[in-house]
Amino acid sequence: MSLPEPHPDPNDATDGTGDDAVFDTDTDAGTSTATDAGTGTSPSTDVAVGADTEVDASADEQTALTANYPVGKLAATVERLRREVRAAQAEADGRALMELAKGILVERLGCGPAQAARQLAELAEQAKVTPLELAVDVINQSARDRLSDVTGAFLAGAKGQEGAAADREERERSAAVRLREAESGALAAPDTQAVADSLFHHALTPLGAVAVAIWTAGTDGSLTLAGSAGFSPAEAGRWRYVPPGVMTVARTSLTERAGQWIGSLSETGLPSIGQHHFPDGGRAALPAGTGGRVHGVLEVVWPTPLEPQSPQVIRQVEALAELCAHTLETYAFVHGGDTVTEPRVLPDAAELVDLADGLHDPALVLVPYLDDGHLVDFHIHHVNSRFLDPAGRPRGLVNGALLLEAYPMAAGESELFQRVERVYATGEPFRAQRMNLTALVDQVTVASVADISISRHGNSVLLIWRVEDETARLASLLQHAQRLGRIGGFEENLLTGEITWNGQLFSLYGRSPSSGPVPLEDLALHAHPDDAVAIGRFLRTLLHHGRPAAAAFRLQRPDEVTRHIRVVAEPVLDADGRPFVLRGAYQDISAQHWTEVALAATRDQLAHSEQQATERNRLTLQLQHAIMPPTQAPLQAPRLDVAVRYRPAETEQLVGGDWYDAVVLPSGLVLLCVGDVAGHGIEAATSMVVLRNALRGLAVTGAGPGQLLSWLNSVAHHLTGSITATAVCGIYDPRSRKLRWARAGHLPPVLVRDAEAVSLPLLKGLLLGAVPEVTYGEDEVQLAVDDTLLMYTDGLIERRDRTMEESMTQLLTTVRTAPCTLDQQLDRLLTYSRSDTDDDTCIVGIRVS
Amino acid sequence: MSIAQNPLSVEVSLPREDVVLLTVEGHLDIDTATGLQHHLANQFQHGRRHFLLDLAAVPFMDSSGMNIIIRAYQQTRELDGSVHIISPTPPVRRILDLTGVSITVPVTDSVEDSLALVDKQQPSDSA
Repeated sequence: MSLPEPHPDPNDATDGTGDDAVFDTDTDAGTSTATDAGTGTSPSTDVAVGADTEVDASADEQTALTANYPVGKLAATVERLRREVRAAQAEADGRALMELAKGILVERLGCGPAQAARQLAELAEQAKVTPLELAVDVINQSARDRLSDVTGAFLAGAKGQEGAAADREERERSAAVRLREAESGALAAPDTQAVADSLFHHALTPLGAVAVAIWTAGTDGSLTLAGSAGFSPAEAGRWRYVPPGVMTVARTSLTERAGQWIGSLSETGLPSIGQHHFPDGGRAALPAGTGGRVHGVLEVVWPTPLEPQSPQVIRQVEALAELCAHTLETYAFVHGGDTVTEPRVLPDAAELVDLADGLHDPALVLVPYLDDGHLVDFHIHHVNSRFLDPAGRPRGLVNGALLLEAYPMAAGESELFQRVERVYATGEPFRAQRMNLTALVDQVTVASVADISISRHGNSVLLIWRVEDETARLASLLQHAQRLGRIGGFEENLLTGEITWNGQLFSLYGRSPSSGPVPLEDLALHAHPDDAVAIGRFLRTLLHHGRPAAAAFRLQRPDEVTRHIRVVAEPVLDADGRPFVLRGAYQDISAQHWTEVALAATRDQLAHSEQQATERNRLTLQLQHAIMPPTQAPLQAPRLDVAVRYRPAETEQLVGGDWYDAVVLPSGLVLLCVGDVAGHGIEAATSMVVLRNALRGLAVTGAGPGQLLSWLNSVAHHLTGSITATAVCGIYDPRSRKLRWARAGHLPPVLVRDAEAVSLPLLKGLLLGAVPEVTYGEDEVQLAVDDTLLMYTDGLIERRDRTMEESMTQLLTTVRTAPCTLDQQLDRLLTYSRSDTDDDTCIVGIRVS
Repeated sequence: MSIAQNPLSVEVSLPREDVVLLTVEGHLDIDTATGLQHHLANQFQHGRRHFLLDLAAVPFMDSSGMNIIIRAYQQTRELDGSVHIISPTPPVRRILDLTGVSITVPVTDSVEDSLALVDKQQPSDSA
């Protein structure tokens, strides 16, 4: 708390107290106005008195101005001011004019600024003009010719803003207008000092004040004396700059952001301007601000201790402070150096948006939100791409909202709002680590810890926070995903396009994290073309219907590896039921998939085998049919009817090895045979063909049936596959009507005589193929006319519940009733067969005629 | 018809070291024959030469069953072994007679009779 050293400013040292020095000594046109800060009153400064109605300069002042100024300097000034005016455009200057008009009304009507603003609005309404035009009218009335010219020109410029070229043309056409614009610029420079004088003489002296200082606040926390009255020039010179961190009376009012009414300066121990002249005098220091932004401080000095003032007085001084504010704003604008050429329409906001987007921390660009000229809130003008809402809301919901609406809790304990307000007011940046932020999520408060940075840039505030939980949140996502294993988790914000992938998903995709994640919408581009439909359906369910969805697809990775992936996702819906966040996971199901494929292949193979088997069976059947037609052309033998029937099994795969044969041998004898190769299928059928043809060939030798079967047994025994077969074989002599027969494990023939069926005796005879050498017994039966002899395979009669004989007897009883031909008889046998096996069946029948 | 309806049960015991007695119960047909075949094959693997098949509880046998017996007969012949059928039911007996298997494969009424036949065969083996 040291006494501030008077801070000599090297730039201003030479003209610190020179009243007329400015325009006389400074020949550098470009910097002429920049050195005007805080200088004394020059004759020309009177032209710029805006808030004061006392304008002692007369109508000829303009002429004097023109005559007195060096032409070159004037031209430069004109050029600069033209740039300024062009840059300034409508809003900011318009607002200044509005404030000016309000200031005039405040003084004229003796009302508060708010009332003045209302009055202005009402008058504009009645006059059917815009508030700005009315403001200009008000100012014109007060300021008379010169100022009215300037403001009129400005208004024209503002109106013709769209056609900037036309505007420029107009300006170039009229040198007079240019001059008036120049005056408008000149208005700014000495304004604060003029205001100080004016305030002092017209407003503060009546209150008993002896001096007044108007400070402008620097963003670094410094104060600069912008204007003063009632102090000695030396004192004003010493106090022209107060560096940051020095606690003065004016500083206190900024820190407290409230008016300081001090009964006696010495009691506070605070240093201030004029402290030696008026050590025990009262002081008032009021922040001078417009629209929530503090531009400086109005400090009023009384010579003696000050009694507490009436609210009227306090209000009056506060109104004066506000009046100062707009002049300070203009002051800052003109003396802001490099900002001179910048447009004033939210220039800082646009730049700040760029800056914010370049930051790696969540950042918000706030612009003040004024109601009736008072700062009530901040508009969240922009949130950058890194923005993470502590309450977990998507960026879109926060962007564009009011700060207090989005973060009602900011006004609470965290004092975030107050911090922002203060930074905006003073321009002093605020930094804090591990500040507790409270967010409200559906009436539930969520506390988070954040590092905060708030700084003012032009008219905007940049709020940066680094929420500590963010890393924890990402980590938990990662952890969760990896816990499930081989699952790639993702989260997509549809509004911002922001996509979060965990590391697993990158490796699943075969992408390096640096190449960035793939949006769900582009999934089809990374999948097998055949899966496009499935993916389309998946996306439609998810995005259009807003429902959880899943899909399996083949992911085609950049390394040409194809993986089978299952993706599941669910939408997070906003208030309108539209998805704005998609969450989900990818899972590599390749292993599972190949198991399924293997199964499918087995099934296919099985189906193929079945088909092959079917084909083989069909072949077998065709083979059998080719060899033994189901019905055969009647065999022509003397005095003998021969009929044969072959009925294949109903089930194709049961096609068996049954065979029959009835052939007239060269000797005139008739070979009759029925056989049955064990088993089914093509092997049985093939063996059947072999045995049947072998028997035919052997029969030519004229050997008896026993011998034939013995030979046939050898054939069967040496046949590949060691098959067994049964057969009954007979040689019928049509001349003697005698049948010699033998059997190899087969059912003996049945003789039907006079509606009586008799099975011939069970001769000894092992089935064919079981042992290498077998001898077969033979028997001879004498047939009579109309006798029928049947040879058959067991498919005709085989039943489990009764013997062959019983079955045969029953069958014959069934069919014998009506006299009929041999063919009819065989047909009936097949028709009425009550066999319970689905086996193929052969019948050979002879009837002696 | 199916295995579930007519399951074939085969009980295996060893009255002698190289003699196996298989007591079969159930229909011996195309659906069940392989079950018996596996048992027989297994015993061949273990070096049994003499096979006694007790078919007292086999009410029905078709050609598939018959073929199993014939296979066994053919295999034992090569090993100087034998197959014996004990107490076949009439239908089975009829099939055995029909096919002539009963001519080559001895059919007895008891395990003892079959074992006696085995014993009778043995001296000639060792001789």
